[in-house]
Amino acid sequence: MNSILLTLVQFVATLAIAPFVVGLVRLFKARLQGRHGASPFLPYITYATLLKKQMVISKSTSWVFRLVPFVVLASTLFLVCVLPLVVFGGALSHLGHFMIIAGVLALGTAFLVMGGLESASAFGGMGASREMTLASLVEPAMIATFATFAVVTGAFTVDTMFASANILTSPALLPAIAALIMIALAENARYPVDNPATHLELTMVHEAMVLEYSGPYLAMLEYASGLKLTIFSLLVANVLFPMTLAVDATLIAIIMALGWMIIKVVIVSFLLALLESMIAKMRFYRMQEYLTIAFFFALAGLVFALIHITL
Amino acid sequence: MNFSFFVLLSLAGTLLAALVSCISAKGQGHRAVMTLLALSTGLGAIASAVFLLSGQSQLAISQSVWFFSTPFALSTLSALFFFLLNTVACLASVYAIKYVEQYAEIYNVRVLDGLMAIFVLGMQGVLLSSAPFGFLVFWEVMSISSFFLVMADKQAASVRAALFYLIMTHLGAGAILAGFLILSGSSIFEPFTRLAVLAQSLPPQTLFGVFLLFLFGFGSKAGLVPFHVWLPEAHPQAPSHISALMSGVMLKMALYGFLVMTFSVLPIRSSTEALIVIALGLLSAVYGVIYAVIERDVKRVLAFSSIENMGIIFTMIGVAMLVKSQGMDTFAHVAIGAALLFAIAHAFFKSGLFMGAGVMVHAAHSRSLEVMGGFSKRMPVFSGSMLILALAAAALPPFSAFMAEWTFIQNLVANLSQMSPFIQGVLVLVLVTMALVGGLALFAMIKLFGIGFLAEPRSEHAAHAKAPDALIAVPIFALAALTIFVGACAPWILSIIGFADLTSFETWHTNLVVAEATLNPLVLFDVLIALFLVVFVARRLLSNKKHERPYHTWDCGQPITSGMEYTATAFSSPIRFFFRMITRTKKNVIATPVLASNPWIASRIFSLDLRQIWYDVLYVPIQHACLWTSTQVRKLQNGVIQFYIALIFIALVVTLTIAL
Repeated sequence: MNSILLTLVQFVATLAIAPFVVGLVRLFKARLQGRHGASPFLPYITYATLLKKQMVISKSTSWVFRLVPFVVLASTLFLVCVLPLVVFGGALSHLGHFMIIAGVLALGTAFLVMGGLESASAFGGMGASREMTLASLVEPAMIATFATFAVVTGAFTVDTMFASANILTSPALLPAIAALIMIALAENARYPVDNPATHLELTMVHEAMVLEYSGPYLAMLEYASGLKLTIFSLLVANVLFPMTLAVDATLIAIIMALGWMIIKVVIVSFLLALLESMIAKMRFYRMQEYLTIAFFFALAGLVFALIHITL
Repeated sequence: MNFSFFVLLSLAGTLLAALVSCISAKGQGHRAVMTLLALSTGLGAIASAVFLLSGQSQLAISQSVWFFSTPFALSTLSALFFFLLNTVACLASVYAIKYVEQYAEIYNVRVLDGLMAIFVLGMQGVLLSSAPFGFLVFWEVMSISSFFLVMADKQAASVRAALFYLIMTHLGAGAILAGFLILSGSSIFEPFTRLAVLAQSLPPQTLFGVFLLFLFGFGSKAGLVPFHVWLPEAHPQAPSHISALMSGVMLKMALYGFLVMTFSVLPIRSSTEALIVIALGLLSAVYGVIYAVIERDVKRVLAFSSIENMGIIFTMIGVAMLVKSQGMDTFAHVAIGAALLFAIAHAFFKSGLFMGAGVMVHAAHSRSLEVMGGFSKRMPVFSGSMLILALAAAALPPFSAFMAEWTFIQNLVANLSQMSPFIQGVLVLVLVTMALVGGLALFAMIKLFGIGFLAEPRSEHAAHAKAPDALIAVPIFALAALTIFVGACAPWILSIIGFADLTSFETWHTNLVVAEATLNPLVLFDVLIALFLVVFVARRLLSNKKHERPYHTWDCGQPITSGMEYTATAFSSPIRFFFRMITRTKKNVIATPVLASNPWIASRIFSLDLRQIWYDVLYVPIQHACLWTSTQVRKLQNGVIQFYIALIFIALVVTLTIAL
């Protein structure tokens, strides 16, 4: 009963805060670039408006186009259910094996790519091709990162991995965390991999795929990408500060965890905005270098961890 | 209950199907033969399934003097492969009923049907024989009948591919025969159990040689790099139901043979053998998947994907051999379980994809992905089942291949810290390579489905595609359903094929348990479905469903045409760029100016040269060496008869010297 309550708290809190995170990053970025910026609560209004709007469905598309938003959002919700974002030991956290996390992320990406291809335009295809390339190169880095966590902690689900990961006693986790951050940037289509603010065709990846979506479907896809950003922000923060999560369903613990969650997303949003204001986007055809670095960070963590255990 | 009668009946039915096709008049009897074959293989599938469920581990079928006392028997392992073979063959025969009729003017239908029955009979026999003689006879029946099936359409390309296949498969069969002869001391009638006893007394160097012979023999049949070159030529040229049988089942015969030889017959001595298997497996997986990504011919994509899948299975077996040589039997057991589960998954999804490719090729009148597209709108139900098969082939949860990879990688990671540093290094390499291959396999499958099925059709034929006939579609649906079933019931299947220790039974479901990590695929499946329903209901509640209008895709104010779409070549271009060191593709763009005054207005011709690096680096030099040697040898043929007599005499002396 306890664990179900914890999962519910996490589910509702993450779903509620996701648009705020998107708005907050935009606000911080605007302030850092000398603009006033919109309210961080604007995405709530944007999604609500999109839900009311009429949809334009391209005549080139088939049933797959309509299936895409549902699968993408459902796969993101799965991650919300199984990952340790606000609480440890949720009811579904036993499904959070790293292979399943990587697989479900890939499932969502695969459908997003098919949505991009469905539009029959060059933009959709270009975004789809690029996203597919990124996803297939992120996969080895992600598996290696989580394998490091598994070797260090001896746990199999991300939930127990994070609960017992202590960077002070096992420094081998540091390269793995660096890799996790790089993966998080790539998965969420942020700098230096993709520019989330642009609609310039030559630079876009994620935006190009959802170009043909409108109305409620666009709201679903945008919400899914906002949720994913929230998930990864919280994951990166939680691996560094696992003590900020609730472990039992007492009122105080939950309120504390929720408070920490808001603090964490504010800090991570600020750091993300700072990063995006400081560095430039990489050329797409140099992306394999970035992802190779992430991969070798993860691999270095794994090797360090194995040496550490053997010694 | 005695199932051996039913297994024999199944063999007899298959033989009868072949005979009926021989005696039937031209152009007739096709449906009868295929129905008979479907019935006999269906019976075989049921018999082997019942045998597996009964929990027995051995079943003697027959042993008759006129077949040189070759014992025919089923073990748990061969019964599993027997079940896969018969299930796929049964569905392929149903598929063939209408599929072959579409091409009645191209194929000689009588011969095609008869050969298919003999092909299936050969594979059934390989699995039942437990002595080298029967094994090799049926192996040859399988190889030669499939050689003729590859060139069923009598085109020049098919004949060339078939001859290439014939040479490779006979080199392999020769190696297997040599291995048996060395093991048994020149008698091929001893059963495998006796061979295992004889192998104990052989010196390690000889055993290593025998192992290499078996690895080449079975590896060349399984399409392991670098013995794979025939596979992407031969599999696509065969009719689609035969491609399904060759890729989905015939490769498994090589796997079965390799498993029996390495784990039951040859004693495991050193880790060198295991490292060779792992190296070949990883090489096949990486090489196969890169070509699966960049190929544009739908059946070649699937053939390369088979090379990748067999590479993964052999890597799993190699890891099992490696840890077994280190004395870690539990780890080895789990790895073999994962390999078998992957083999089951592969048999179903690859057969389904090949049969589906047959429908795509028939609709587009070409095997090129570049002229397909738009099928998901024109054949929605068929495309839905193909989507499931493609996602399963990409090893995504909750489908079948994912469960095998989960089992293997979870177990590998759990045991990583208890190994010696050298083994750790090998296992880390296996882990990261499999992760890379998994990512690229997803790319290949999404390319196949995305370019082949989605958006606007790229040719006139594709635009007029019709949904396939029910008899063609039903086997594909069945295979898609089996793929989901194998995924959701993976623990149950593992417990049936002798890996009950990987599962734990709870009140209403069976869990996968690997090194203290448990996974219930059914719960995973249910949670994903439930969340999908949550999203579905929420969308219904929060927004107006009917509030939409159709319009063409926005394209900078121009009308949208299929020429705007990304092609398979363009889609895979980043991967081609990133792996250009390996693939060495050559891009040729020829620009000819249309107007002399303005060089920017030009017509461009683009072509891409997909080169087969193994072919260039390994096979062409061998070919040159053979040609050079034969040119040199031909100098002996100078027309002087005394010289010939002298040669005969020298040959006689040399032979006698060696023999005596």
